[in-house]
Amino acid sequence: MADSSAATTTALPDDGDLTRSITGRLLFFYVLGDVLGSGIYVLIGAVAGAVGGAFWIAFAVGVSVATITGLAYAELVTKYPQAAGAALYVNKAFRSPALTFLVTISMLSATFAAAGSLATGFSAYFAEVWELPPGLLVALVFILVLAVVNYIGITESVVANMVMTVVEIAGLVIVVVIGVVYVAQGDADFGTLTEFRADGDPVLAIVAGVALAFFAMTGFENAANVAEETIDPARTFPRALVGGMVVAGVIYVLVAVTAALVVPVADLASSDAALLEVVEAGVLPLPVGLLSVVFAVIAMVAITNTTLVSVVTQSRILYGMAREDVVPGVFARIHSSRRSPWVALSFAAVVVCSLLVVGALLNRAGVGVDVVARLATVTVVFTLFIYGLVILSALRLRGHDEADDTYTAPTALLAVGIVGNLVLLAYVVYDDPTSLLWCGGLLAVGLVLYVVERLVGRRDRPHGRARGESTVEPRT
Amino acid sequence: MHVIVATDGSQQSLDAARHLRSFADPARITDVTVLAVVRPLAAVAFADDLAPADRTRAEGESSSFRAAAESAVRVVAAELDGWGPTVRTSIRSGSPAQEITKAASALGAGLVVVAAGGRGLSRTVLLGSTAQRVQHSAPCPVLVVRPVPRPRAPRP
Repeated sequence: MADSSAATTTALPDDGDLTRSITGRLLFFYVLGDVLGSGIYVLIGAVAGAVGGAFWIAFAVGVSVATITGLAYAELVTKYPQAAGAALYVNKAFRSPALTFLVTISMLSATFAAAGSLATGFSAYFAEVWELPPGLLVALVFILVLAVVNYIGITESVVANMVMTVVEIAGLVIVVVIGVVYVAQGDADFGTLTEFRADGDPVLAIVAGVALAFFAMTGFENAANVAEETIDPARTFPRALVGGMVVAGVIYVLVAVTAALVVPVADLASSDAALLEVVEAGVLPLPVGLLSVVFAVIAMVAITNTTLVSVVTQSRILYGMAREDVVPGVFARIHSSRRSPWVALSFAAVVVCSLLVVGALLNRAGVGVDVVARLATVTVVFTLFIYGLVILSALRLRGHDEADDTYTAPTALLAVGIVGNLVLLAYVVYDDPTSLLWCGGLLAVGLVLYVVERLVGRRDRPHGRARGESTVEPRT
Repeated sequence: MHVIVATDGSQQSLDAARHLRSFADPARITDVTVLAVVRPLAAVAFADDLAPADRTRAEGESSSFRAAAESAVRVVAAELDGWGPTVRTSIRSGSPAQEITKAASALGAGLVVVAAGGRGLSRTVLLGSTAQRVQHSAPCPVLVVRPVPRPRAPRP
């Protein structure tokens, strides 16, 4: 078709930067916003509880391991600037459909769990502003609204994305300012920063904290979502990705130090909205009530930003899998005028809401479940597994598909990254074996979809075409 | 006159191109640019419904929204092939309405052709479709091609 029209049809000469819209700066803010929202607002209390006053070390270690993983992502994105992320890299490196499938549904499961954890965190901050509605209801409505927002496409605005990120940073800057003022007043007891929980070994305590803190760094891998639309990815991507992660890491450590200095660790650990405790400590000469409402709103914006990205990622993965014929084709269905994958969006919302309801039912049944921390742990299990494989893929793909400007991550650091991811993964599984049940449940969702596709999928596949064989047209 | 035909990969956008060809005078049109806009932050950055189903695809293709956009503009461009005007294709990135408007200004377009939203509820309930925004901000006349209404079943 294209060949026959070659005489009169020509692509306009690439008008340079116009054809791609994601600049290095936008990418930096995308990464920063995505990382910052996922965790510090939600999890800082749990991390403090696990480690003790020295929990900033947990953030520092978690950030370092994640940033090393980010280097591997940067290298792979510059080679394969496409939106598929981990699944694509693992497929290129290992050529094993089973492993690619496992990575894809792991990624999907990770984003399901992350969205569940974030929604619960959102409801905790929401309760600080308006206590009346039950937390579960707020979390469910939150997930449904985000699905609708994605369906309509309001969030596509790059400017809105940047504004949300700036608001997020503002929230954490407030916390750091409180810390600076507190120290300047001479009230700070720096001894807290080296204290560990009374029971147990400090190293184990740190590993436990790192495992939780790691959740705060997840999300950076979603930068692959916009890889294809990034201007000059070989140059901008490594800088923006690693830069965003390092800045996020520095902010995290400063915030953790502040929280430890200003609020007793026991109070942080027992609070649902721990960063609010810092704001409510009354260090700044402003009305505490006003400040805490403002801060709660900022926290909600931050959490919303990150959850939105995870909702986008979920539906993209489902859409991609449907196009590859590994899940039923219905997930590739696009609304005719909104151009949104409405089936994938709805299904993802249902899965996340089910997670929230299961958590609530277990709590009601007397099995105490901290939904935020449990789902965060589940996310971390999946992401550690994926990150480890991505680093391995980066190493295996050395020497392939390299251009002159391909970014190459330091090999020694990547080796450290693999060990770091594996140690954390082993610890998390050892420490909290029941999280594997949740992981299994989520993976089962992917498997069930696969089985359904095997059983009934033949109908939507053209004749004479094997499963997994593509049904979409080639790039010429 | 330079005409921009926008496609979002939908069947309706292909119908819009056919509609233009059905009535416009090719002697008055010098150039046609078929334009697709990839939306980097959307759940699906570009969905191509126009690709013929009986083709095989290169590896990793499903993850390339740009390839989907390229495929869609090719299909729409082929529809205008042999009509007369020079047909070009272009792919931009960002918010569709904004990019279509920008392209119209940059190319000095004399007409923009867009397909309107879907049938039924979503058209009336959900405001802010691309077609509406292009109508508001385009620097030139806009042809909005609406879907043909479904014939109502005759009442017994």
